[in-house]
Amino acid sequence: MASASASGPKGLAGRGIATFAVRAGAFGAFVAVIVYFILFAPGFTSPFNIFNVVEQSAILGVLAFGMAIVIIGGGSNITEGGIDLSMAANMGLCAAAYASLLQAGYSDLVSVAAVLLVGAVVGAVNALAVVGLGILPLLATLAVMNIAGGAELTLTENTVVPASSPLLAFLMTGRFLDVSVLAWFLILFSGLMAVAIHYTGVGLRLYAVGGHPEAARAAGLGVRRYVSLTYVFAGLCAAIASVLTVSRLSASTPGSNEMLLSILAAALLGTVFSRRFVPTVGGTLLSVLFIGFLSNGFQLLNVSSYWVNGVQGALILLVVAATSFARGQEA
Amino acid sequence: MEELFGRSGNMLKMAVAACALLCAAYTTGDARADELSLKGKKIGVSIVGTDHYWDLMAFKGITEEIQKLGGEAIALDAGRKDQQQIAHLQTLLAQKPDAVVEVLGNIEVLNPWLQKIKEAGIPLFTVDTVTPHALNNTTSNNYNIGAEIALQMVADMGGKGNVLVFNGFYSVPVCKIRYDQLKYVLTSFPEVKIIEPELRDVIPNTVQKAYSDVTDMLTKMPEKDSVKAVWACWDVPQIGASQAAEAAGRTEVRTYGIDGSPEVIKMVMDPKSTAAAVAAQQPYEIGRTAVQNVAKHLAGQVVPPFTMVPAVLINKENAAEKGKPFLDAAEAAGVK
Repeated sequence: MASASASGPKGLAGRGIATFAVRAGAFGAFVAVIVYFILFAPGFTSPFNIFNVVEQSAILGVLAFGMAIVIIGGGSNITEGGIDLSMAANMGLCAAAYASLLQAGYSDLVSVAAVLLVGAVVGAVNALAVVGLGILPLLATLAVMNIAGGAELTLTENTVVPASSPLLAFLMTGRFLDVSVLAWFLILFSGLMAVAIHYTGVGLRLYAVGGHPEAARAAGLGVRRYVSLTYVFAGLCAAIASVLTVSRLSASTPGSNEMLLSILAAALLGTVFSRRFVPTVGGTLLSVLFIGFLSNGFQLLNVSSYWVNGVQGALILLVVAATSFARGQEA
Repeated sequence: MEELFGRSGNMLKMAVAACALLCAAYTTGDARADELSLKGKKIGVSIVGTDHYWDLMAFKGITEEIQKLGGEAIALDAGRKDQQQIAHLQTLLAQKPDAVVEVLGNIEVLNPWLQKIKEAGIPLFTVDTVTPHALNNTTSNNYNIGAEIALQMVADMGGKGNVLVFNGFYSVPVCKIRYDQLKYVLTSFPEVKIIEPELRDVIPNTVQKAYSDVTDMLTKMPEKDSVKAVWACWDVPQIGASQAAEAAGRTEVRTYGIDGSPEVIKMVMDPKSTAAAVAAQQPYEIGRTAVQNVAKHLAGQVVPPFTMVPAVLINKENAAEKGKPFLDAAEAAGVK
């Protein structure tokens, strides 16, 4: 985040054009893909299908918001800025803990509280490594990802742990105005995030901490505290997502780490929609839904789901390349 | 069919009789198949993954038979991701196909969603998935397979010794049946002991993980004959286990598995390999049969709650003769 000091009209113009090109390109690609699905994917536009995608996006949505907060607070420089690679593994650990606790006979209340604690503790370990020990977030959270993954394996021995509880049944089958609980969850969670990030002082200060840490520090903000809390928040998001996952699968299952690519794709893609290439709630939500529709459209077109992985990887590359290019123009 | 279905030395009389019955039922089913049609029908197919020979062959059998009968397949492969398979089932629910064929997967995860398919009035057929929500489950006779491979193992062990067991997929119904049958057979042979803790087979990296797990256990139990056999409910861990035993110079160890991947059949055929036996199934036929059941149901015929396609125990003695038809079938389907 070194230089936002674009000098002279030439620099400003160049930056403007590059930023505009990246944003327009991203929007264009989004629209083109969706239009293609509308035209060619059978059943794509049915309300039932659209709400299915919203419902299916709830888990990824909660995780992507967690990642977005980490990127906002730590700065969106891809190599040195905020990133939490441990989120998917943390969710896997939390899901395993949740299912195991329910199976051991604990109530929903106790189990959910314990799982939120587990998620927050993993987040706190990240915070300790990044803020306390000064390790690059990319490496610190990679290490924590392995710790969480190992802990999950120890707990479940790589098996499926079935779970059922009143809360899970409600999440799985509940409907309000003919829209499922999970879809509502995503809508409400997004609303809360939007208010917290874009309409409160906390949100504003978080952007300041990530965008200009020196200035934020000079202005008396507790930069280290803010950054630490973003990792704890991401951990909490992983815990919340784990409860949603267990409700969808009626169990905790191995392989949660597969989600990491989607989380990164959603959070990074979300940065393209802002003028300064920082994550926003709207942009993140749009990206989450886009990834959901992409996977859904592929299913309806009978294209192998293996392609979705490839497309997500390509999207990450494109976004990182495009935003670095546009930022390069700033200098 | 007939050559696949001979009398194996270890087959119980009952099993032979049952298989003969099944085979007869199966051939009459096949004769009728000529008249079956899925014209104008949309059939949803959901499979948990196709990275293993068995899965891929079953998937091919299903989709090619749907095509052959003139139907349209919405075939969805979840790439071994439970989350993805649930999304697929949900998509199929929205698409309202004329029937759904679901293949393999974790039963706890699937059951609530299979119930929704049933409740939506979509006829549900399964392959290797035992669930009360399906009209029919097409599968091998896993009760027989499980008992036969266990009995072969006990016989080879001389009725005593330690066995390493991979039990990572008890949540997959067919593995549960085979494992339970193993345990049941062992109740009659108290001198055969399963080494605790049991090993966990994984997907992906199944072969590598099995190799390192078995290597570790053989290092931990270095005396000759301290481990006599390795058992797994499918045959991919068997590959890693056999290689590990051979690499460790522990050629007294014998490995056992189920499915009949061509690679494993070839190992059983090789007199020097530690792979002692594999129960070979006909996944392509299982897939085809499931689709024929769909067509029968849609044509108003009565379909039984399960259809079993014959499987054959291939061991060191009969491998040359019994193995070949399976290798030919794999080659014909173009799957290695």
